[in-house]
Amino acid sequence: MDVVLIDRLQFAFTVMFHYLFPIGTMGLAPFVAFYTWRAAKSGSELDARSARFWTTIFTINFAAGVVTGIPMEFQFGTNWANFSAKSGSVIGQPLAMEGIYAFFLESIFLGVLLYGKDYVPKLFHAFSATLVCLGSWLSGYFIVATDAWMQHPVGYGVAGSRIEMQSLSAVLFSKFALWQFAHVLCAALVAGGFIVAGVGAYYLLSKRQLDYGRRFVRAGVLVGLVFSLVTVFPTGDRNGADVTEYQPIKLAAMEGLFESAKDAPLAIIGMPDTQTRKLIDPILVPDILSFLAYGNINANVKGLNDYATVLWPPVELTYYAYHVMVGLGTIFIALTALAALLLFLKRLERSRWVLWALMLLMPFPYIANEAGWTVTEVGRQPWIVYGLIKTADAASPTVAAGEVVFTLLGFLGMYFVLGVLFIYLTLREIALGPEPRRRLTVVPGVEAPA
Amino acid sequence: MNLLAFGVLGTMLAMYVLLDGYDLGVATLAFVIGRNERERGAAMESVGPFLNGNEVWLIAAGGALFALFPQAYASSFSGFYLPFMVVLWLLMFRGIALELRHHFPGEMWRSFWDFAFFFSSALLTVLFGVAMGNLLRGVPLDRDGYFQGTFAFLLNPYALGVGLFALIALALHGGTFLMFRIAGEFAARAQRAVLVLFWPVAILYAVVTGATFLMRAPAHALPTWLFVMPFVSLAALGAVRVFAARGDGTRTFAASSLFVVSLMLAAGGTMYPYVLPGYPAGSGGLSLDGAAASPFALYSALAVTIAGLGAVLIYATVVFRRFTTPLHLD
Repeated sequence: MDVVLIDRLQFAFTVMFHYLFPIGTMGLAPFVAFYTWRAAKSGSELDARSARFWTTIFTINFAAGVVTGIPMEFQFGTNWANFSAKSGSVIGQPLAMEGIYAFFLESIFLGVLLYGKDYVPKLFHAFSATLVCLGSWLSGYFIVATDAWMQHPVGYGVAGSRIEMQSLSAVLFSKFALWQFAHVLCAALVAGGFIVAGVGAYYLLSKRQLDYGRRFVRAGVLVGLVFSLVTVFPTGDRNGADVTEYQPIKLAAMEGLFESAKDAPLAIIGMPDTQTRKLIDPILVPDILSFLAYGNINANVKGLNDYATVLWPPVELTYYAYHVMVGLGTIFIALTALAALLLFLKRLERSRWVLWALMLLMPFPYIANEAGWTVTEVGRQPWIVYGLIKTADAASPTVAAGEVVFTLLGFLGMYFVLGVLFIYLTLREIALGPEPRRRLTVVPGVEAPA
Repeated sequence: MNLLAFGVLGTMLAMYVLLDGYDLGVATLAFVIGRNERERGAAMESVGPFLNGNEVWLIAAGGALFALFPQAYASSFSGFYLPFMVVLWLLMFRGIALELRHHFPGEMWRSFWDFAFFFSSALLTVLFGVAMGNLLRGVPLDRDGYFQGTFAFLLNPYALGVGLFALIALALHGGTFLMFRIAGEFAARAQRAVLVLFWPVAILYAVVTGATFLMRAPAHALPTWLFVMPFVSLAALGAVRVFAARGDGTRTFAASSLFVVSLMLAAGGTMYPYVLPGYPAGSGGLSLDGAAASPFALYSALAVTIAGLGAVLIYATVVFRRFTTPLHLD
């Protein structure tokens, strides 16, 4: 068995599973901060219970994120030793900074948020919620900066077999990283908006917790609408421009474009076939790809045929992941725009089928987020560091395929149990609601309501 | 610069052992001396607000090792693949146990999570000790610092001895934390546990230190200051006993912290100038110079690390001052 393949499977599985929770924390943290501030200012019971409800959901996400994040920090060393030894002086730094600048902030102030109500002043307590939010976003930033460097290496020099850091600020503030992070954060906020709106819709449909249902739907729909727009433009567009400029092969794979073309068409649907090198049953919109990539309908877009097949990423996966992401993004805009319109007309609460759609679409931003990352990471192949280190040369020399199969099975088992527990706990909290008759979960420092 | 990097990394690891050390110890000890679910619950509650922050020291130290000594990060983590994965799984299991305790009411599940928390904490402590023991003893390495031995090689009597020492020394450390944080009858029981553990810790400390000296001293010249460390450690341990007998929780915990830090300092001094000493002793190993990143990378990594840790220290102090009122059980 090929050890690199198993290493890749393990990394893909553990990172995709892990990322489900940062989506939740980055997306829900601003709601936690918002309701905690409102509660501190207004002193209203409605705000206080909303804050506590989302804090509990956030904490479950946070705990699962921490637990599944621990192996991520160390897997570069265990499974990708050659990559780590060669490029550690660059990528080690944003990873170390994540621990020092983001994790401490997040975990210490989450401690204050959860346990500190009786120990600290009200506004300090609310401020802690803001710092937790800042910490979770910063943590995301450092990870994206690391990944952006692997997509588009900058600020480095090559010494022998090693890649050495030459400018930390070039790595941290590369244009690629800034737009990629903006896109990633907006996409997480879309997920946050859909979670809040979806939970609200569930309460309205089931005719309970109505006060909370209304405010959650309103807040979630507005956040969902704003950020599903910003996810596309400007952040997605700028991200795409960087891919066009620095990773043209990935662009060709995303679009399923085999033949280079001036006025290249955009494939709405179609199935790429790498054997015959064409798109099966496509629906094409003429000129649009040239326009989207270069802002000019006559621009020449290079197709996959112009590159050696050894430099191709897995075309099918990249293509489908990209189309799933874009398709879902379009649906998110349509649904939240409709819901916002109905909200404005004060008819949303009566439009039950829109509420149903809001509730049932809750998981789909997760799929769109994961699909987007699949485009980014699978589309980067065969490189682990674009143009510098091939994925095939990056694995640990001393670790055998059999060992990784064993640990992969271990992760599968452990994450299955964790996933079941996570879903059980989250659904139970949602079923109990912000104003439960009895409270099962004991959050320390928070008195149980009678 | 390489030495400074080694020092910063060592400081972060010492902070980890000092801080996560007490919650590992509390988990181990509370399961043994806690008489009922309420007492064990209070013990877990006493470390609850800090545990996540404490564990960040390990994550941050891992990141710092990656940035400062990439070759050491790569060869040690991949070289000890399976033991390392077991440590990761235990860390995860422990996090799950602590979190889920809040979510599953009723004595049946509480006792299950208590046991899971105890089991993973105690086993982790032993494994950390065994790892430390192997670092001090040295491991067979190839030219790039990749581990060339077997799993069985790591389970040698010396390393297992250090593992046992880690278990009881951190249980003592956890006991001093309970004396510091909890008031009432349970604290008195923690105090008795500290006094009982004192002798085994002291004896095992002498045995481990002696064995380390016999193993390492003939191989390479140890720095002079290292010979002072046993006196510092013993003085700190003695102070633990004196303050514990008086029932002064704060001073006992401070003395125990000094003891833990002195152990880490001595371990670092013994390993120097290697990040990963070879086996048998004297056969070289992966040196600081061989594993370190380029001077510029080190400079930038050290600058952001030191500045960041400074900021953490400030806000952590501000926050923790708010939490120092003892918890009352009765």
